[in-house]
Amino acid sequence: MQATKPRAVLCEAPPGKGESELSTKVKSKALKEFQEATQMLVNPALQRWKDQGGRVIGCYCSYVPEEVITAAGFVPFRMRGTGSAGTDMADTCVSSINCSFVRHSLDLGLRGEYSFLDGVVWVNSCDHVRRIYDHWKRKIDTPYLRLISLPKKVDEPQVEWFREEVSLFRESMKDHFGIFVSDERLWKAIKLHNETRRLQRQLYELRKRKNPPITGVETLAVMVAGTAMPREEYNKLLKELVDELSQSSAGHSDHRARIMLIGGILDDPAYIEVIESQGGLVVTDSMCFGTRIMWKDIDEKEKDPVTALARYYIADRPSCARMFGDQPRRSAFIKDMICEFNVDGVIAERLVMCDNWTGEQFMTGEDLKEAGIPYIRLDRDYINVGAGQLRTRVQAFLEMMGR
Amino acid sequence: MIVGGCDIGSATGKAVVMKDGEIVSYAITPSTVKPEVTARKAMDEALQKAGLSKLEDLDYVVGTGYGRLKVEFANENVSEISCHSRGAQWLLPTARTVIDIGGQDCKVMSVTDKGKVLEFVMNDKCAAGTGKFYEAMARTLQLSLEELSTMGLEAKKPAAISSQCSVFAESEVITLINEGVELADIIAGLNNSVAGRLSGMVGRVGVVEDVVVTGGCAKNEGLARALEQRLKVKIKRLPMDPQIAGAVGAAVIAAEKVAQKAQTDSVAAKSAR
Repeated sequence: MQATKPRAVLCEAPPGKGESELSTKVKSKALKEFQEATQMLVNPALQRWKDQGGRVIGCYCSYVPEEVITAAGFVPFRMRGTGSAGTDMADTCVSSINCSFVRHSLDLGLRGEYSFLDGVVWVNSCDHVRRIYDHWKRKIDTPYLRLISLPKKVDEPQVEWFREEVSLFRESMKDHFGIFVSDERLWKAIKLHNETRRLQRQLYELRKRKNPPITGVETLAVMVAGTAMPREEYNKLLKELVDELSQSSAGHSDHRARIMLIGGILDDPAYIEVIESQGGLVVTDSMCFGTRIMWKDIDEKEKDPVTALARYYIADRPSCARMFGDQPRRSAFIKDMICEFNVDGVIAERLVMCDNWTGEQFMTGEDLKEAGIPYIRLDRDYINVGAGQLRTRVQAFLEMMGR
Repeated sequence: MIVGGCDIGSATGKAVVMKDGEIVSYAITPSTVKPEVTARKAMDEALQKAGLSKLEDLDYVVGTGYGRLKVEFANENVSEISCHSRGAQWLLPTARTVIDIGGQDCKVMSVTDKGKVLEFVMNDKCAAGTGKFYEAMARTLQLSLEELSTMGLEAKKPAAISSQCSVFAESEVITLINEGVELADIIAGLNNSVAGRLSGMVGRVGVVEDVVVTGGCAKNEGLARALEQRLKVKIKRLPMDPQIAGAVGAAVIAAEKVAQKAQTDSVAAKSAR
């Protein structure tokens, strides 16, 4: 593999020119609020929602069709392990072959840190996560629990299958909470979530600049907050942030390389902080706290909202490594992103023990090697980043690229 | 032009002094709990051997290794991955695959004919296949590291050791001791187990000859031979102590920096005229 001028090999058009060499830090109030939301489970906006009697439903994976939850009038909340200091309680029912996200989040549940939830919804993302559902049901008294069966393939029969699952999920809102989720309510929720996606894409658009106005650490906070705050309030804040950044030409110019990050669940800015501390500015990603949940919209022209949801989650949006037979499309997506965002190198993160991402990383690596794109796999633990080793590898990766 | 390379690892600190493209002296010293002290000790010793008296005699110093940020007298730091690649290829210009087995890391680099890294893999947070593994095994077998390095060569029937994990391998070793298995055979078994792990890493970057081994564990001849068997290639022995390859690479990079700077300065001087 030759690491020089990778984009020239892969991309047709030359990269765009940046606007300004100025380096300033974003000081937006919105960003502060988003960053705060990554540091805790119940952020102030969510607390206010709870205080007003609002309900919150946990979602254990980005494949939970959260628009149904919004349509029921609740706030969907992506489950995380934020604030966990250990896994000793979880380790009484899972083992060290289970990934650290599963263990930390279950540990928080067992300690009562998730008692603010009115329900938790799982999909069988992987065997590790699916098992938490079983333990949660036995040991934690959250009032509403549901496991949605997620297909493994991404074709029409699976869209049909998932349509049925979404439909049953919608009905369970009536059975458990007494709330009838009408088509009209679903469409309203879909539009609201699409608005979030549109704003998030606008933010990413700004990262295409030669000097992106926002770092990877900051962007992750924006994305995490979007899964933890009441939606309308979030959209309003995000619009403020996007407007503010769009109007300014200031950006980060002191980086050594532009990095794309790919992988599974990553909600802790600490990992990206290590990458950026070495001069690798993260400019885009294929992550489930990133592009995978917002690069495509749900089709608002579809007749039936449940079909629209099913098609979006199974077939339309960039898939997770968990889905079978779709790896070539994922690689193509990564290559498109490399060109669009003028990426110098790709870092693949994976939680130790994650089987879904293990094979994927090898295949992606082979594809990128063929395309001449510098690529490295950097495993991590959910809480303990292992900064020393990580720093060495990132530094070596940048040196390897001649940066 | 006199430059220095200083490689502060988890087990030892290494320093190399280079003058006009030649290695003048080097020193290896056990790491202390203060990396800045280790760095100073190693470099002072190397300077003394070179007949130099003070740090100021060095035009440029590059620090590397785990303690690279604590080499206070270094002009800059470069990762040990780049330095080992550069150093090994400088010591043996035909080297294209570098296996570095240090105190707490093992890594495999594929390098160009200029000693630049093309690709690398590194172990995760685990002592398997590192110096720490051998230290633990030597302790269990009540041998010195030197004895461990040579005794394995006398093995007649290497023991099967399936664990690459230091903790589990240790209990396997204890079982073997109690079954009356010859020490040499146990050691050969350990070497095979480490070679197995390393060959998996080598497979990821691909074997391109010449293959060389650097780091403290490269001095373990039994391991080198076990690796040759696994990889089915001849491992080229470096012409100098393989433990200093990282520090050599750091010094080579330091020399490059000085040369680059001289060139830029002369260009600047010309254009000023």
